[in-house]
Amino acid sequence: MEFLNFVLMFAAAWIVLRKPEKERLAFRLLVTSVVIMVALFCLATRTALLPGVNY
Amino acid sequence: MRRNLIYTLLAVAVLVLAIVPIGTAVFVLGFMYGDSPCVMCWEQRTGMAIIALVGLFILRYGPRPKYIGLSVLVGAWGLFMGMRHVGMHAARDVGQGFSIEILGVHTYTWALFIYWVCIVTMGVLLTLLKEPELQAAPRRLRTLESAAAVVFLVVIAGNAVQAFASTGPPPYVGQGDPIRFSFNPRHWVWSLEEYSTAPVSLRGRWASEPPDVKVANVDPASGPLAGLPVLAVKSQTRISAPLRGTVTDLAYDAAGDRFLVTTQQGIYILDAALGRTLRYTIIDTGFSVDLGRFAGAAFLDPSTVIAVGENKSFVVLKENDKADADGNFRFFLESFDQFNEIARSRFGTVRARMMYTMSAAFDPATKSIYTVTVPNTKVKRLVVSRFDRRDMTLSEEFVPTLAPDAGLTFAGEKRSLDELYITGAAVADGKLYAISAAHGVLLTMDLASHAVVAAHRIAGLDHPVGLAIRGGEFYVADADGSIRIVDRRE
Repeated sequence: MEFLNFVLMFAAAWIVLRKPEKERLAFRLLVTSVVIMVALFCLATRTALLPGVNY
Repeated sequence: MRRNLIYTLLAVAVLVLAIVPIGTAVFVLGFMYGDSPCVMCWEQRTGMAIIALVGLFILRYGPRPKYIGLSVLVGAWGLFMGMRHVGMHAARDVGQGFSIEILGVHTYTWALFIYWVCIVTMGVLLTLLKEPELQAAPRRLRTLESAAAVVFLVVIAGNAVQAFASTGPPPYVGQGDPIRFSFNPRHWVWSLEEYSTAPVSLRGRWASEPPDVKVANVDPASGPLAGLPVLAVKSQTRISAPLRGTVTDLAYDAAGDRFLVTTQQGIYILDAALGRTLRYTIIDTGFSVDLGRFAGAAFLDPSTVIAVGENKSFVVLKENDKADADGNFRFFLESFDQFNEIARSRFGTVRARMMYTMSAAFDPATKSIYTVTVPNTKVKRLVVSRFDRRDMTLSEEFVPTLAPDAGLTFAGEKRSLDELYITGAAVADGKLYAISAAHGVLLTMDLASHAVVAAHRIAGLDHPVGLAIRGGEFYVADADGSIRIVDRRE
């Protein structure tokens, strides 16, 4: 899934550089990338979502 | 002029972010040194790339509110990811960590710092912006800005290559313990391990509940040890001296023929009849080191006592008839002139780290303090920890086993001593005696062999909280101050 995320970011940056009129598409790709990042981090830390220390 | 300066600074920031952490991570650490990020490092790296990408959006479309908002959100999330990751390793022994270091700092700690720098940088740029600089149409990128975009694309392409090799195409995801990076497909390992079933929790084992003697199963017939001999209660007495709170532990000093009793915050020296308070104080347990509730007590010498909290924090008091009452104001809540506080700190453990304790004992022969764990819903393990009196530091830990020649057997294949709920302990003649509120079991552990050499059931116990040895007798205390006296046997 990390590979997919970098592909999405590459596509968004490419649009910003070469097809700036497609801002909506680029921003959607950006937001999708954010969502995937958050989901994957939560997946990896689901057994202890918060830092493992005393509070 | 001012606007151009801001965009120049932003372009430089994007370049630095793309080249230094993200580019270095993939081209130097990854392709040159074979480093592979763990799944958490991947997401931290992704977050940095996203912030750089948002910078490109601002260079092209101007500082629209949704870009600013998204960059702040990702920066804040990145800080959280950094804290979560650093929290796993920061408290290990000196020099330890996960994966490689850069300039003496591990990569996940750099990530925490970089996200902090990103947020600071965004704040600086925002303060320089003025509302009229918001624009609707895409900007024409200047040379430096175009260069930032091209560099970003190159760095992201490199990351895509590394991500494909290290983590694979969807639905594969990064691994908790990644293998070394290689361009050779035969060395690639694509994993789905992160999708495996696991309980979802906010704090995992760190959310262990504080101990409560009332949760112990007192049923003597369902204990983990089979066919235990019964020690009869030969007499009963009770603590008649007034106490503030309920009894949490009991100890005895033969030299002075006196008892030590702790309550949640109180430390009492009582006479041999348990009816008269010779001296006492109420500790301000929330001042300085958080002592929690006292659960263990012991004499360290005839005039020095220790009270240990459930969280293994402790206070050491020395009796002093002329203690400085004003000086002790900050330590105590009552009775300021009878003790000097000579130490207040914490016992650190290894095996017992995720468990609380409800007992403490002192062995004068080895000048050691002992604690025994109580199980909780997350961790169930009976661990004995020994601390050296000289530096109050962990010197030994062991998980007791049954001595082969003790004639002890478990009541079933899956039964263990971990089911016991030790609430009182005392040392005599090289043996640690521990009373369990669960099933009313008294263990005798040999401190040299770490084995349980005897075990008895004491009839009629009701959630005992303390154990003391007085000559040839055990004194087993309940929270209400009632005490059962039992003959001591091996």
